Amino acid sequence: MQGSDHSVVRAVLAGDKDAYGALVRAHSATVFRVAFRIAGNEADAEEIVQEAFLRGYQRLETFEQRSSFGTWIYRIAVNCALNRVGKPEIDAEYRHAEESDPEEKTVQVAAREAGPERALLSREIKAAQETAMQRLTPTEKTAFVLRHLEDRSMSEIAEVLGVAPNAAKQAVFRAVQKLRRELAPLRGTA
Amino acid sequence: MKHLSEEELVEACYGESGAAGVAHLAACPECAAQLLELKRDLEGVMRTEVPERDAEYGERVWETLRPRLIPYEKKARGWRRLFGRSGAQLRAALLALGCAALVAAAFVGGRVWERHTTKTTKVASASPSPQAKERVVLVVLTDHLDRTERLLVSLEHADSSDKAENAQLQSEARELLASNRLYRTTASDAGDPVLAGALDRVEGVLAEVANDPNLTAEDLQRLRDEMNSEGILFEIRVLLAQTPDQAGGPKPAKGATI
Repeated sequence: MQGSDHSVVRAVLAGDKDAYGALVRAHSATVFRVAFRIAGNEADAEEIVQEAFLRGYQRLETFEQRSSFGTWIYRIAVNCALNRVGKPEIDAEYRHAEESDPEEKTVQVAAREAGPERALLSREIKAAQETAMQRLTPTEKTAFVLRHLEDRSMSEIAEVLGVAPNAAKQAVFRAVQKLRRELAPLRGTA
Repeated sequence: MKHLSEEELVEACYGESGAAGVAHLAACPECAAQLLELKRDLEGVMRTEVPERDAEYGERVWETLRPRLIPYEKKARGWRRLFGRSGAQLRAALLALGCAALVAAAFVGGRVWERHTTKTTKVASASPSPQAKERVVLVVLTDHLDRTERLLVSLEHADSSDKAENAQLQSEARELLASNRLYRTTASDAGDPVLAGALDRVEGVLAEVANDPNLTAEDLQRLRDEMNSEGILFEIRVLLAQTPDQAGGPKPAKGATI
């Protein structure tokens, strides 16, 4: 795939704009997956996909033929997503404020016994997890998503984020630490 | 026995601890229990399913994206249009140009032949020294950095609604992009990572300005943010300050001696 990607890149740079379509078709699902995991919703993820491929096209001349196009566009997508989650809306920050009180380190959850209550409990746990994720900095969140969900190694995360491997490791560690602290009140209820 | 730190436990959780860590976990039930608890805590986090994309998804992305892309190598096509589309027309035009060049060369050659032969020795002794060549390279590079700085400053203050200004910015960016690539490659080949890195970052901005069909206010703001966060303009100013002036100013910086 890598070899054919490189020949497609050469064709695009030689003026064949439509050749870029092959790269978009081949990599858009992967780009969408990571965009969704970082942005957390479909609408933003779709926009990140568009933006990543547009930026990729505009910077194609800087693409080093030594590397893989898939990794390169993945990195651009992560950065686009990082920019987007770096500007959260005000209400998103406090979406679950009514249910949870992070200062008191308590989360209101429903009783566990009955069926409907159990469903409510799951929803509230999910909401608490989302709130905890929102409290991470964009870099921490991205590093955590890449490590925990995308199964990327620390060196890959460092490369994608453009930081030193130790900084990437610290970002993952801080994210895990914060999440555990935020979710500590839920321990034993899930 | 020294227990594993929280950071080491996180490493172990993702299978990245060293041999010592693995051995300790096998021998220490306390740390093993803590690792188990950490794994349990992280198990449920964000395990939401990513919505499935159908087989046509890539095609849809491409269809939306396609109208926004400008083909590369537009200048080459422009020349082709100028001389006509068919190969025969192009060949005829090139032949005519060649003939004109030959006539001009014969005329000029005849005029200067006599003067040239009398001054051969003098001209040979005046062939440029390596220092002179370096000075020429420095002047050209300084000029490039100077133009780049002006473009970046214009970009900082650009008004997205001013179409004429945007067109001018784009045309300047296209010209600079070609020369920037040349300087970047040369700096890289000459083993100058500082200059090559700075020119690489500039290239990203230039490519974006040059290739974006219509720069919106958001595009301009994003470019400004990128420039500011990466300190591109500052870097260019530092490089400019380090290059000597044409009157034999300060010592050349490492980044300027390609």
